[in-house]
Amino acid sequence: MDFLGFLVTECLNALSQAALLFFLGVGLTLIFGIMRIVNFAHGAFFMLGAYVGYTAVSVTGNFWVALIAAPLLVGGFGVAFELGILRQLYRRDHSAFLMVTFGLTLIMGEAIRLLWGVAALQVPAPKSLSGIVFILDEPFPIYRLFLICAGIVVAIGIWQFLERTRLGLLIRATAQNAEMVHALGTDVRLVRSAVFGIGCGLAGIGGVLAAPLVTASLGMAPNAVIDTFVIVIIGGMGSFAGSLIGALLVAFVQVFGTYYFPDLALALMYLVMLTVLVVRPGGLLGKEA
Amino acid sequence: MNTRTGFTRRTAIRAGLAAVAAPALLRYARGETPIKIGMPLALTGPAGEIGLQMRHGAEFWAKQVNTKGGLTGRQIELHVEDTAGDPATCVRKAQLVVERDNCHLLFGMVLSSEALAVVPKLADWNTIFMSSDNGDGRLTGSSFVPNFFRANISGPMETRAISLWLRKADFKKFYALGMDYAWGHNSIDVFSDEVKKAKKDLVGTVFSPIGTTDFSTYITKIRQSGADACFLVLQGDDNNAFLSQAHEYRLSDKVQLITSIVDLNSIRAVGDAAIGLAGSTRYVFTIDNPANKAFVAEWRKEYNALPDVFEGEQYQACQMLQAGIEKANSIDADKLRPALETAAIDSIKGHVAMRACDHQAVQGGYIVKVEKVAGAKLPVPQIIATLPGDEVTPACRQMTFDS
Amino acid sequence: MNGWLGLAVTAFALALAPAGLPPYAMTLLTEALILGLFAMSLDLMVGYTRLLSFGHAAAYGLGAYTAGNLLLHTSIPMVFAVLLAGLFSGIVAIGVAWVCTLASGVSFSMLTLAIAQLFYAVAFKWTPVTGASDGLAGIPRSPGPFGITFFTDKIGFYYLVLGCLCGAFIFCRSLVRSPFGAVLQGIRENEAKTRSLGFDTRHYKIAVVAISFALGGLAGALYAPFAGFTNTELLFWLFSGQVLIMVIVGGAGTLIGPIIGAAFFMLVSNLLSSWTDSWALFFGLIFICFVLFAPQGIWGLATRWFGRRRAPEVKGKRWRSLNWTG
Repeated sequence: MDFLGFLVTECLNALSQAALLFFLGVGLTLIFGIMRIVNFAHGAFFMLGAYVGYTAVSVTGNFWVALIAAPLLVGGFGVAFELGILRQLYRRDHSAFLMVTFGLTLIMGEAIRLLWGVAALQVPAPKSLSGIVFILDEPFPIYRLFLICAGIVVAIGIWQFLERTRLGLLIRATAQNAEMVHALGTDVRLVRSAVFGIGCGLAGIGGVLAAPLVTASLGMAPNAVIDTFVIVIIGGMGSFAGSLIGALLVAFVQVFGTYYFPDLALALMYLVMLTVLVVRPGGLLGKEA
Repeated sequence: MNTRTGFTRRTAIRAGLAAVAAPALLRYARGETPIKIGMPLALTGPAGEIGLQMRHGAEFWAKQVNTKGGLTGRQIELHVEDTAGDPATCVRKAQLVVERDNCHLLFGMVLSSEALAVVPKLADWNTIFMSSDNGDGRLTGSSFVPNFFRANISGPMETRAISLWLRKADFKKFYALGMDYAWGHNSIDVFSDEVKKAKKDLVGTVFSPIGTTDFSTYITKIRQSGADACFLVLQGDDNNAFLSQAHEYRLSDKVQLITSIVDLNSIRAVGDAAIGLAGSTRYVFTIDNPANKAFVAEWRKEYNALPDVFEGEQYQACQMLQAGIEKANSIDADKLRPALETAAIDSIKGHVAMRACDHQAVQGGYIVKVEKVAGAKLPVPQIIATLPGDEVTPACRQMTFDS
Repeated sequence: MNGWLGLAVTAFALALAPAGLPPYAMTLLTEALILGLFAMSLDLMVGYTRLLSFGHAAAYGLGAYTAGNLLLHTSIPMVFAVLLAGLFSGIVAIGVAWVCTLASGVSFSMLTLAIAQLFYAVAFKWTPVTGASDGLAGIPRSPGPFGITFFTDKIGFYYLVLGCLCGAFIFCRSLVRSPFGAVLQGIRENEAKTRSLGFDTRHYKIAVVAISFALGGLAGALYAPFAGFTNTELLFWLFSGQVLIMVIVGGAGTLIGPIIGAAFFMLVSNLLSSWTDSWALFFGLIFICFVLFAPQGIWGLATRWFGRRRAPEVKGKRWRSLNWTG
């Protein structure tokens, strides 16, 4: 394996990881931007996505159905949770959200265990994507290239959605000044429900996409939630572009760091976060300190 | 929760209420109290899969013994508690079953870190702990305590079995990837020692943190090393993620993957990605002896499934304890200990004998290769080599091997 | 004065507990009190200064590993080892706090998380001191000084824990009622205003983090000889999250609430998990119910029940003021 081949392979690996992290991070950061809450249950929504994906794949035999069904179901569940519980808490402080979402994580984890069992489940990638291509004589999985493309498509999609659509405009406005939006005659509550649903749905997509790489398992939620926190914090809470940069930074540091300093693998992410926050307390693109 | 046999604390209480039937009363009157065995297990959390298997194994045995009239005339009562795989909770729960439920026999403890935290307390509790899955070599080495017995194969023994098999295979250059955890370090230490003795090359070693989800970098390292075989010490989610991703990169086209433990659950989780995987196994349903055939048949009748690694290992540990109790005709630690030290059984894995010097059960090692079998939905681990117990087991209280 | 009477009665009842409780209940109670001390130490930061720490497990772990090493490798009597370990946590905390207080709000929380996770990573790698993933096992309860062996048995150890908790409680209570405590509460309500009054709020914040870590470290240091082992799990972020929940469930900013919250958390999770494998389901439901129906936590409920006049408006304000964004 020559150096160029190595470099290209590892960069692609990092990009595919960044895509997965981005699906998680962008949802969390949107939710934070609008609702000012830290959604501790984000990892659980991610996990739910993987399990729903498993069922969809095993019932229909079609990965693409899973990719549509999971975000809809997970997003729908998110909206229901927002309407049923979170909505009553907006006048309360962060600790209330922390506890509610922590509680929800426990409940979802156990519900998934009861519904799907304790054993890890296989979600195979679709046949058309499970091959390999040779890049500079190095084999590279097509599925990972697909992940990168999916990441790019979704990133552009969300960006355009935020910039071009009316709901996107409302979301940005609400993030800036919710009271003003409310005063101008828009029901901010609807915007919040929508954003929470979208955020959870994105986590759900992430779950389905990650499942062929890691299988659907009960360990997904705790692993994911902390990674997501880190990238969102690095990018700056509430910043869409920040979550993208955070995901890229963490993925590249993780991939190359693990290669050159395998003993630091566990600490790398936190070292990056520490450095960023010490230099810029609000995160790279964050506004508040 | 599982309700198939449900010999948990809850049902034990229910059974206790139901036991107000006359024969039971008579038995109690004669002083034949049930044999209570505490079982702190990780039933939830990442290790929950193993915990559940261990519970099944023990419940299956308890049911078998109880329907035959009990052990030395006494019924078996299992007191299962969930530790969630957390050592602090495990210590608390172990103390609970000892102090509250008055169990002076222990099974369970899925993780070595849990077992290492509990064993120093066994003497105070006057309690015997029969391990069925703890792999850490130190439990029968530097951390040995007299009330600890290990019926299962340890990590060093698994690795030794693989190494002995590899001496005859024509792989020259090895790479080793282990979980950054006691079991991983332990096994890889033994492995590198064995590779040296075989005059072969260990070209690289790397440890991945527990909970690693992306193994692409590790796979690159393995490919770059030019090794023709890679020794893996991974378990659970990490193992499944690695195997899925190794398959993605077609790693096994170039490198023979050899794992220290092959189990059905991960084969189920990764499917065809497991084909071609070779490795040691602590127990596999394809072991060819009459005791195992009977066990598998009965197990299928009970659970409508094949027994997995930790179910078989737990069953063997139960039988070992049973042999000790029958010999001592007591569960008192001071009487049971000497009886267990010389206990031997013809188990589902063949002849297994406890030895007195470090309380490790001497037993053979099995090497399997995962193969696609016509008619079976999932690949099946087929035995390709069996290694004798005296070669696989280290010298007393040792973790490495002399020759 | 009424409050002191209630506390005295409670302390007296706890002191008599060993006479009436079976051994396993004493085990649980001892651990509950240790966790209570831990949660109370966090309350100084969370409830009184609005410093939401996501990494308080670092304090506990530091204390536990320090005490573990002292007890395993030296012959220092346990009582001193425990106090030294607490002190050590407090000193380390000055450095931690210096870094973390560079930021405020969510960023402060995340910095504490990052540092705690770094400690976790270090514990995994620094094998000679931490025993890596195995942790330290077989930690003894060294007797002394002057050959006193009272604290080494179960009941004696319980009294040691109870003594530490009572001492720490009295200390914290006087602290929050002192001028120092008033500044802390000023920071909680409005940091900018407090600063403009001429207080260097950052110094106060570093001080409170150090005190909080010292007491949290004391709790961890008690845990090491109590359980006889330490493990990396004691430093894991999940544990930081749990102790935060304990504080909130009990009632932040009340000192006594978090102690009750910790006991509640431990005893209920223990009871539930003995009763059903699906304990997490019920545990999660309990949290959500608390948020919806008992926003002031257990202590808030209790005080309302017993009709003590603790103006609820003040409480409401305190709760809202826990917001990161103010």
